[in-house]
Amino acid sequence: MKKYQVNFLIMNKILKCKTALYSQTLPLFFLSLLTITSDGLAVEVKGLVQLNYVKASDQSSWFEEDTGILAYSKNSANVQQAFIELSDNFSNGLSYDVVANYYQLGEQNVGLSQAQISYKPLSNSKLRWRARVGFFYPKLSLENVDTGWLSPFTYTQSAINSWVGEELRTAGLEVTLYSPGRTRNSPISWEFHGSLFKANDPLGTVISWRGFAMHDRQSLNNDRVPFAPYPSVIGKDRIFHPNYVEPYHELDGNIGFYLGTHIEYYKQSTLRYYYYDNQADPLVVSHERLYAWRTKFHSLALQHKFDGNTRVLGQWLSGSSVMGNRFVYINFDAWYVMLSHKYKAHRISLRFDKFKVREDDIFPWDPNNSDGHGVTLAWRYDLNKNWQIGAEQHINKNSADIRASLGQNVEIDQQQSLAVLQYRW
Amino acid sequence: MSKLLFVLCILLTAFFAQSKPISVSVLTKLNMPLGNVVVYLTPKNPRPSNIANKVEIMDQVNTQFLPHILAIQKDSQVRFPNSDSIKHHVYSFSQAKTFELQLYKELHADPLLFSSIGSVELGCNIHDWMLGYIFVVDTPYFGKTDIKGHLMLDLPDGEYQLDVWHPRIQDKLSALSRQLVLPVESDIKIILGASLLPDVNQYEEISGEFSDYE
Repeated sequence: MKKYQVNFLIMNKILKCKTALYSQTLPLFFLSLLTITSDGLAVEVKGLVQLNYVKASDQSSWFEEDTGILAYSKNSANVQQAFIELSDNFSNGLSYDVVANYYQLGEQNVGLSQAQISYKPLSNSKLRWRARVGFFYPKLSLENVDTGWLSPFTYTQSAINSWVGEELRTAGLEVTLYSPGRTRNSPISWEFHGSLFKANDPLGTVISWRGFAMHDRQSLNNDRVPFAPYPSVIGKDRIFHPNYVEPYHELDGNIGFYLGTHIEYYKQSTLRYYYYDNQADPLVVSHERLYAWRTKFHSLALQHKFDGNTRVLGQWLSGSSVMGNRFVYINFDAWYVMLSHKYKAHRISLRFDKFKVREDDIFPWDPNNSDGHGVTLAWRYDLNKNWQIGAEQHINKNSADIRASLGQNVEIDQQQSLAVLQYRW
Repeated sequence: MSKLLFVLCILLTAFFAQSKPISVSVLTKLNMPLGNVVVYLTPKNPRPSNIANKVEIMDQVNTQFLPHILAIQKDSQVRFPNSDSIKHHVYSFSQAKTFELQLYKELHADPLLFSSIGSVELGCNIHDWMLGYIFVVDTPYFGKTDIKGHLMLDLPDGEYQLDVWHPRIQDKLSALSRQLVLPVESDIKIILGASLLPDVNQYEEISGEFSDYE
């Protein structure tokens, strides 16, 4: 039993963890920025609150340290989303944008989901550049295009972007070279993005053990994502990892990167491709016993608008993650396709998701294979520019081999119904 | 009676000296009508015209400039309202008017004075696909062709120079210019010699709603 533990200690360069240095200083930095800039300037304040009544699945969620892949564990009324977004643009091309959220679910209830400073110089050139620095999302997704990185389509987001929201955030710099088609009298616009970032080393933890999930809970700046206490994970003679991940830690000092391109035909068809690699050293483990996971993936997102009201969009994500000396090694694949139609003030969206995690590592007693598929149908109706009501039905079938270690069925069916009242300003 | 005759004479003189409508058509090289072309007639003997306090509107609707092309008389002011629920950052690098304007939602910016003639190309630094034009002319006699490439204008008899402008026209604009004597010529047809620049107005056909997270 002790053999594994000794091995881990030898193999892993244990670092004194810079406990969430980035995520803790970030709110202070942006609050002081706001104080400086709000004097006499028109800070734009947007906000949104969603209240729901949920008819939950029988299987409790990871928030309850259980193995369900939907967010809610019991029939109840909840604050589903609440955030304020503060932003301002300055004539020199500088702008900032901060999103502060409240979540009823989860470990950190109040915090920041995004905070960035952007520089976009005014230009009439055909080839332009811009940059942003802070704590932000790479623009992988064509689903999360509403304020606060929400989806305007469904409440329960795709498996891909549920994962991005809970584990992935860039604490770094992104530089973009772009050419708007209209300046060239061309229907084609393009952008190239390159980013260097720190932190986000534990990315991949939650999909390796819990598997993909479907929800709209974005992790906040210093958040902790819990999951079930799987014996193979928490056992001192096993992998000996807490049954949670704090996804935004910097553990190994390495700099990660991503490269992306957007190609757009008018405003009608869009393609986005990204390659992401956090360059983490999988042998590094913190005192909290969180690992750096070397996570790499390709993401391809497509959208076509048939007209102003009907669109089809989809995304495919494929990559791998490894921790330790191949203690856990997974390949993951997920995709979704969604049809959304707007009729007057109604929007109806239907999405199909499929996701799969397959392991290829050295510990047979820590099974990481999981997969599933789901269907989400949502209706949203704008009563006016502030109020919206909506309803959603979600069903899925999913399996995770690791459930057997808790005496649960490996394969389960889940469904969730939501009624949502939204106010935005 | 003599008074009445005098008044009648004045009225008749005024009537005949009054404007007569002229019709202008703009056709492409392929003989297709071209709409939204600014047509302006500059009198050889300009009369003083007072346009003080004239305020024109260039709105932002569904992340597009509305109208796409706004023709105004020199020394007019233009107000830039924002009918969208998001902010815009309008700018121009054009020689006729260089400016930038932050348009916050529900905040009204002061109108801008356009005192130089020529075309002013508008962009938005937040929404890169937005493109609009203000074309400033030094005459009260101007308009834009309709979808059939037609424009009817009422203007007093006299000598004029007729010019046209559209951002897609590649012809040398001075070559399209005409000297006119009204009322002798009243049905004018302009046929372009060069092909048009590509039509990219499809940018305006599909809304930018939920295109990207800004």
